[in-house]
Amino acid sequence: MRFRAKMVDLACLNHFSRVINTIAKLAKSCTLRLTAGKLFFILSEKVANGGVGLWCELCQGNFFDEFQMEGVAAEHNEIYLELVPENLSRALKTAQSAKAVKIKLTNKHCPCLRVAVELPSLSSSSRIVTHDIPVGVIPRRLWNDFREPSVPDFDVSIYLPALKTMKSVVERMKNLSNSIVIEANMSGEMNLKIETDSVSVTTHFKDLGNPPWASEDGCQSSAQDRDPESMAEARVDIKKLQQLLAGQQVNPTKALCNIVHKRVVHFILLHEDVSLQYFIPALA
Amino acid sequence: CITLFSFLLVFGRAIHAIARISDEFCFDPVEKGLALRAVNSSRSAYAYVFFSSMFFQHYCWTAVSQPCQKEKQLSLPCKLIIKSVLPVFRCVNVLERNVEKCSIYTNINDHHITFQLLCKYGVVKTYNLTFQECDPLQAVFAKHMCPNILKVHSRLLADIMIHFPTSQEEVTLSVTPMKVCFKSYAEEDTDFSKTMLTEIQLNPDEFDYFQVGVDSEVTFCLKELRGLLAFSEATNVPVSIHFDVSGKPIAFSIEDMMLEASFILATLSDIGKETASQQPPCFSHNAEAVASKKPQWNGTAPNTESVKPASPLAKQEIKNIPRVTRGVMDTEGTALMEAEDKAAPEGEARESRYQQVRIPVVVTVSYFYKSCIFQFHSLFFGAMSCKEKDSISLTFHSLATASDTEEDFGHGQSSQV
Repeated sequence: MRFRAKMVDLACLNHFSRVINTIAKLAKSCTLRLTAGKLFFILSEKVANGGVGLWCELCQGNFFDEFQMEGVAAEHNEIYLELVPENLSRALKTAQSAKAVKIKLTNKHCPCLRVAVELPSLSSSSRIVTHDIPVGVIPRRLWNDFREPSVPDFDVSIYLPALKTMKSVVERMKNLSNSIVIEANMSGEMNLKIETDSVSVTTHFKDLGNPPWASEDGCQSSAQDRDPESMAEARVDIKKLQQLLAGQQVNPTKALCNIVHKRVVHFILLHEDVSLQYFIPALA
Repeated sequence: CITLFSFLLVFGRAIHAIARISDEFCFDPVEKGLALRAVNSSRSAYAYVFFSSMFFQHYCWTAVSQPCQKEKQLSLPCKLIIKSVLPVFRCVNVLERNVEKCSIYTNINDHHITFQLLCKYGVVKTYNLTFQECDPLQAVFAKHMCPNILKVHSRLLADIMIHFPTSQEEVTLSVTPMKVCFKSYAEEDTDFSKTMLTEIQLNPDEFDYFQVGVDSEVTFCLKELRGLLAFSEATNVPVSIHFDVSGKPIAFSIEDMMLEASFILATLSDIGKETASQQPPCFSHNAEAVASKKPQWNGTAPNTESVKPASPLAKQEIKNIPRVTRGVMDTEGTALMEAEDKAAPEGEARESRYQQVRIPVVVTVSYFYKSCIFQFHSLFFGAMSCKEKDSISLTFHSLATASDTEEDFGHGQSSQV
């Protein structure tokens, strides 16, 4: 099992750091899956912990100048590592002016991702900062736990409002309630509602638009046959929603959510070279 | 001369730096200037900041002779609780806009030190802080005898330390004539599968002065040092690092015409080489009070002793010594006293490792010179005119980066009374 990669472009480095920062806000610990062409950050929490699901996919070519990996075995040319994304975020934080960043899988005291940042210095040779981030190697027999989640058979699919607006609304609601109801319909309307003993607050969004989903074998028909005015809703943990919105540092190219009535809310955030899917299950 | 803003910032950062060492410090005015000293409870860190009289716009220190009274004798310096002083110098940005003059003066009879900020619109903020008697401490550390000396601008040190998380307690500095390396220190029983380790390698070229007489690896407490780094950034004076092999203290110091500061930190000694003889105790001729402590220090089985808050006890015992010597009126009366072997209440495991490598501390009672008490009068500092401020503030341009956010106001609320 081998992995080494190198990044020299500052813009790529900043972009990669932002992605890692977003992941760090969503998950304390997650799985990093490496394939020849892609990196995946995966989280599938047990129901007891909130049951959220995270699937973030990056094309390595868009970030790294060099990327070499050798998986566990020839027919399974992949590596699955468990790591704390906050560590990776910290290691990259002070690399803002780096000449190059190299990442390598090593095994000194224990398996580590070694991030070596080459920083410019006043002297002839550069300053080198090395961070050893401990990782856990996930054995092949557990790889099935980390398959890509399928898009659920949703009732409503709708584009999200401006994330900044949504974030400030949700942040204020967070002080009042632990759970929030997300409801939307196929006419581009979405409401965020909280209700407690003393207060109920609803924020209405209109004209959001509903993304067209190509129906393959009519499997998305549950959404299309629907009464466009009828709302599908799900009550979710407000903290999870707030974490998702707080972690967004750059506006995505596309942001939408799919709601399965009273079951799950599935968020899809697309940037040019990164796609992020986040599942929040509905509370009982 | 420097601006009011710089004064507040530099003085404030000095207090903050000392705050990382101890909860209280000695405020010790002498003829040449004002000295601030602190030592931590386990005697593994010592801080000394000296502002020469030139640092202040007006520095007045007078000697007043008074009949010697055994009980009521007040020793200058005075010991202050840091927590009471910190609020005075919080939110320097806010202060800078409003404060026109800052005065500090002592009232011996009242046991008070007063910090007074004269602000705009006739607002006067007065902080009356009681002090306790305190015997001046001074670390015994021969900097010039250190084989390894590095000198570097504080900006570089800050750029290095920023790579370590703020929670990182200890770092190791490793030098050979060819390279310098700072790395995070983890104890042997650390769970490496959960710990992130950071290492920074530098070329000797990066240092303004680089002398390595002996290859060494010294481990010291980073947390205690961070305050000094912030302070030296405010003063723009390069930092000198004097050290030896592991086990011997490491000194970070800055020095220029107007101020000097030294932070002396104990370093971990290699396991297995820990012996009481590492820091040979030196005891003074004022043996009675001190001798009673001697067996305690030498016959140590430190870790097994119960952990009780040691500091008040330690201070009392230190105070006892001068009481013995007061009657003697020995002008040169210095009591060399080895550090007490007391386990600190917090961080006990860490502190106990430093026990064997404590910094010898000298308690001087040389103020009792021929039955005079030196009375410190007043020193104060006022704002300069706007024009001068602009031109001079260029030297301290790094100071202007203090934040100016709403957050500062939030913290400052408590002192807006």
